[in-house]
Amino acid sequence: MTIAFQSGAGERVESVTRRADELFAQYRRSIHERTDRLFAGLMAFQWLMGIVFALWVSPLAWEGPVSRTHLHVWAAVLLGGLISLFPALLGLLRPGVPSTRYIIAIAQMLMGALLIHLTGGRIETHFHVFGSLAFLAFYRDWRVLIPATIVVALDHMLRGIFWPQSVYGVLVASQWRWLEHAAWVLFEDVFLFVACRRSIAEMQQTADRTAALEHEVRTRQQAELDARTARARNDAVLEVALDCVILMDEAGRIVQFNPAAERTFGHSSAEAVGTELANLIIPARKRASYRTALARYLMIGDTANFNRRLELLAVRRGGEEFPVEVAIAPISSEGAPMFACYMRDITARKQAERELHKSRDAERQNAEQLAELVDELRITQRQAEAATRAKSEFLASMSHELRTPLNAIILYSELLQEEASDEGDQSSIPDLQRIRSAGKHLLDLINGILDLSKIEAGKMSLALETFDVNVMVDELVDTVGPLVYKNGNTFAVETDGAIGTMFGDLTKTRQVLLNLLSNAGKFTRDGAITLAIRRSISDDALPCVEFVVTDTGVGMTPEQSRKVFDPFTQADVTTTRKYGGTGLGLAIVLRFCDLMGGTVSVDSRIGEGSRFTVRLPVQMVDAAESIPAGVA
Amino acid sequence: MSDDCAVPSPSDCPPVRSRVVWAFAAVWIVAVVAGLSVLWAWENTPGAAGDAPAQWPGESGLSRAADAPTLVLFAHPQCSCTRASLAEFAEILARATTPPRTYIVFLKPVGLGVDWEKTDLWRAATKLPGVTVLRDDDGLEATRFGVITSGQTVLYDPSGALLFSGGITGARGHAGDNAGRASLVSLLNQGKTDLSSTSVFGCPLFAFLD
Repeated sequence: MTIAFQSGAGERVESVTRRADELFAQYRRSIHERTDRLFAGLMAFQWLMGIVFALWVSPLAWEGPVSRTHLHVWAAVLLGGLISLFPALLGLLRPGVPSTRYIIAIAQMLMGALLIHLTGGRIETHFHVFGSLAFLAFYRDWRVLIPATIVVALDHMLRGIFWPQSVYGVLVASQWRWLEHAAWVLFEDVFLFVACRRSIAEMQQTADRTAALEHEVRTRQQAELDARTARARNDAVLEVALDCVILMDEAGRIVQFNPAAERTFGHSSAEAVGTELANLIIPARKRASYRTALARYLMIGDTANFNRRLELLAVRRGGEEFPVEVAIAPISSEGAPMFACYMRDITARKQAERELHKSRDAERQNAEQLAELVDELRITQRQAEAATRAKSEFLASMSHELRTPLNAIILYSELLQEEASDEGDQSSIPDLQRIRSAGKHLLDLINGILDLSKIEAGKMSLALETFDVNVMVDELVDTVGPLVYKNGNTFAVETDGAIGTMFGDLTKTRQVLLNLLSNAGKFTRDGAITLAIRRSISDDALPCVEFVVTDTGVGMTPEQSRKVFDPFTQADVTTTRKYGGTGLGLAIVLRFCDLMGGTVSVDSRIGEGSRFTVRLPVQMVDAAESIPAGVA
Repeated sequence: MSDDCAVPSPSDCPPVRSRVVWAFAAVWIVAVVAGLSVLWAWENTPGAAGDAPAQWPGESGLSRAADAPTLVLFAHPQCSCTRASLAEFAEILARATTPPRTYIVFLKPVGLGVDWEKTDLWRAATKLPGVTVLRDDDGLEATRFGVITSGQTVLYDPSGALLFSGGITGARGHAGDNAGRASLVSLLNQGKTDLSSTSVFGCPLFAFLD
């Protein structure tokens, strides 16, 4: 932290120093440029004044009555122009460049020499030299005094040697007298040098102070901008806040009242600001305790009621009291303490809580009733299951008791039929055939009921084995062929190559297909029946074998299709009379498929035929064996 | 003086480079010095020297003093260079312990306007105490005294003998210490001098002399 602070301070100093250097350079360059322009003007002025002076003092040179322009006039015009124009142009075109001011310094001294000539060597003109040096000091660059001083010294030295009277006013002067004059010039140079140095130092100080001031101003401006941004952001947050936000001073007077508070309490911000919070939104009977809590905080810093959620009563404009959730927090800031009060109208929440409470009571009662009902249902179910088991056991035993004499009846009816046929008793044969047919029908019915009962009684198990599907189908075709062909139907088996083997219950698989093909043959007349077999993937993403039995028979309505797997159900009652059957075949198909972990579905249209699709897993699992003991 | 482009950015530096400026400055200085030299030479070139008669010319209209030297300054009233001579003449009179009879004779060529000679020089001359200011029509007196350049001063003793003839400025139009003034002051105060003639710096009094 200290390092960061030092680093920041160092950067600040470096920044200010850099800015001060820039400002100093700007000041100095500005002074140089300004002074260059001043001298450009002075050069022109001196040139003009030289001409005016020459025209005034010695405009003409005379020879008796004849006059001509005086040489001083030409000198003022030509020589003065020669001296003035070059530095004046430099001052205008190259202001601020060092060479400009050095050349101006030389020119200024040469102009002095010319003026001395034009004034007839008046000693007073020498003040031009000293004035010019002072003027050159305007540059605040002591170096510019050097060429000026050299020019003056050379001028005096040469004149002192060759024409002392023109510069010293005496006929004979020491050859070193120019040094005396140069020394006086240097004497002035010393003061000007000191003045330049001090001026530069003051300029540097001004640059330093300005840079520091600029930095300070920028810092303050940035701070003010940050403060304004933060204030605007806070105001924006308060404007859009859904909760009431109320700021108070230490006396509890409102200083800010956001729109949510206006909506909640019905007071405008203009009305609220300056009003004591207690008088505005706290019920009269609660005000004393509120003020006590505020006073305790201010006196002893008791924060028991601060920085926590409280549920209180507040009052709207018009006197309506309503519940609010409140949190009051002291605001840490400079000066007097302030408080932020956050409020939320919880009328709806309270109402909802009440409703919820009521609803929960009702739910509890319902749940209790439901539990009682479930218990009753469970008892009923157990009773029903017991009854079913009893029924199944009864049916199983009854079927056994029925099948034994029934087999005897069928067998003996066949024997009687054979004997009648052998004896030529043709009149008895139809009756015997009816007996045999009725017996077989009854036997089929009993077998079906027995299978169904076993399944429902949970006594039907799978006999799993590995078998070749194509072999199974070939055998099935041999068995079911007469049933399929008997109504003038064609029959085709479509396989997708070698289907391979299945691990499953061969008997039940064959029974499923036998029932479906038998049904197809029964309900199709002079049509086509197809058995298609192919490998497929079940809905559980397991490999399965799909058997599709398609016929072009009578078909079914959607309603009939939905009921077709229910036991003792055929398309309608006339179907049984017309086509025969027990109404248990498809019910057994459905249950066998379920038992083997497969599915069966039907797609049928009345008058167009039906298509039954059976999907059986390639690898069957005996559900009875796979279920852990104790769970079944 | 070599940092010709010590400016904040190169763009501020004019296209004319430093060496070109200094080369031009050198030529400029030479030209200015040459011009000043011409001026200097002109100012130090004396006018044509006239030979004053050794004895006071008898035909002169000026009255020579019998008991004191007579000092006569011949001047062109329009000559600006003579302003310095007049100042030096006043200085001589101021320094003289024995005031001479004094004349200042201003040329008035024929054909020029009335009061052509009444210039500031005339007015300044009339303010000098003890000085008689005269107009010399067509330069007759100047001719009598052999004077051809404005500013020439002659001094005759009471017997009419020429003591001094020459200019009383050190250069054209330059007042100040000069040999002519020193000689006259010496003659007037001590009656002797080492230099009886000096160069005269002033305008020609007669045009035909040019």
